[in-house]
Amino acid sequence: MLGRFDYVSPATLDDAVRRLGPGVAILAGGTDLLVDLRAGRASPSLLVDIKHVDVLQRLEVSSARGIAVGAAVSLSRLVDTLRALGLASGLAEAASAIATVQLRHRATAVGNLCNASPAADLAPILLVLDAQVAVTGPRGERVLPLDGFFVGAKRTCLAADEIVTEIRIPKLDVDLRSAFRKQQRLRGHDLAVASAAAAFSASDGLLRVAIGSCAPTPLLLPPLRVGRSPEASVDEVVALASQSISPISDARSSAAYRAAVVPVLVRRAVLDVLKEGGRPSTP
Amino acid sequence: MIRLTVNGRLETASVPAGLTLLELLRDRFHLTGTKEGCGIGECGACTVLLDGLPVASCLVLAVEADGRTVETIEGEAIGGELSKLQKAFLEAGAVQCGFCTPGMIMSARGLLRRNPRPSDDEIVEAMSGNLCRCTGYEAILDAVRRAVEHDPSPSAPRHAHSPPQKEDRRA
Repeated sequence: MLGRFDYVSPATLDDAVRRLGPGVAILAGGTDLLVDLRAGRASPSLLVDIKHVDVLQRLEVSSARGIAVGAAVSLSRLVDTLRALGLASGLAEAASAIATVQLRHRATAVGNLCNASPAADLAPILLVLDAQVAVTGPRGERVLPLDGFFVGAKRTCLAADEIVTEIRIPKLDVDLRSAFRKQQRLRGHDLAVASAAAAFSASDGLLRVAIGSCAPTPLLLPPLRVGRSPEASVDEVVALASQSISPISDARSSAAYRAAVVPVLVRRAVLDVLKEGGRPSTP
Repeated sequence: MIRLTVNGRLETASVPAGLTLLELLRDRFHLTGTKEGCGIGECGACTVLLDGLPVASCLVLAVEADGRTVETIEGEAIGGELSKLQKAFLEAGAVQCGFCTPGMIMSARGLLRRNPRPSDDEIVEAMSGNLCRCTGYEAILDAVRRAVEHDPSPSAPRHAHSPPQKEDRRA
């Protein structure tokens, strides 16, 4: 038994939103929530299961219209769709690096963001893809950039009566390349010691880099214009990454190791997106 | 009251919201083949198929299984006859203490259901969410490879059943 609480599974978004508030937890995949319930870190009086709300099962991936990932879409469904279409390979890579097969069949992309772990694997890649989150509450819908959504470790800017309905990536340039690198203690299931994501589109010439597990929130660096000498840009962004992080020591790594590994991860992710041909190299 | 299909049989149960699917299977339905290892989704011992997909039953609420189809290790053998997958585990010596084995077999079943001819990498990936402290994994991977060789079409559902009438709900 995971505690005493009520459970509802509304069929419409309106009904779901009406039930939100203090003491209410949203249940999507449940892979973080149930662990917290078991440990006593969460003790809600009501769980609102959102998996039966049709609009939250929406998954759209197209080079013309971008990407929309509903709050009830599982990671495995997202990975399968991205791979089948050959789009946003960095996002597919990051989503498939989360936990295990069993958990990816339940866990959702939106849940990964809303849990707001500094180590959330999807945060860096979605930051560099200029993702937005669509939020619905009693006052209607607002759409905000993902950069700014995280306000601290395990904390977002969501109010208690709001729900993230969708992750949106409005623009997916045909020549957009993205990559994700994750350092973990062992192969298989582990949280990131540190992670880095990069995206580059030749059409605007901008290189975007974000870093995970090295600050209270995932960290998006300012975009960098890649000039005549890509090598100089790589060195510049690696140096900027090193200056921007504020790693701590914890159960997974020392601060010193994180500081040492971030430049390596950033360099590899950036080289992946800048090099010709587009096939990511192995680490 | 929830209704679900377990190993081809329609079951009903009245459950509190805090009961996990794992507890429902073990404590109410007495299907104790599914094990609790870590209880936090890290070890894979509690793996069952939910609508055909391997999930950690310790991280699913029983109420979430309402209207859905669950398959456990008890559904593998039919009439006392072990499945080809179970036989492959025996032949490969892939079992020592046996605690992880039901979860291993359900992960393998989930893989073969979706992908009857998996590559070696796909086998390793599909089994990577299941921990074993005895065998060192090689015999387990051999067992899955053996099951693939033995059975060119292991993808068909093993039970003819009609799931409870409810609209398609993807998790």
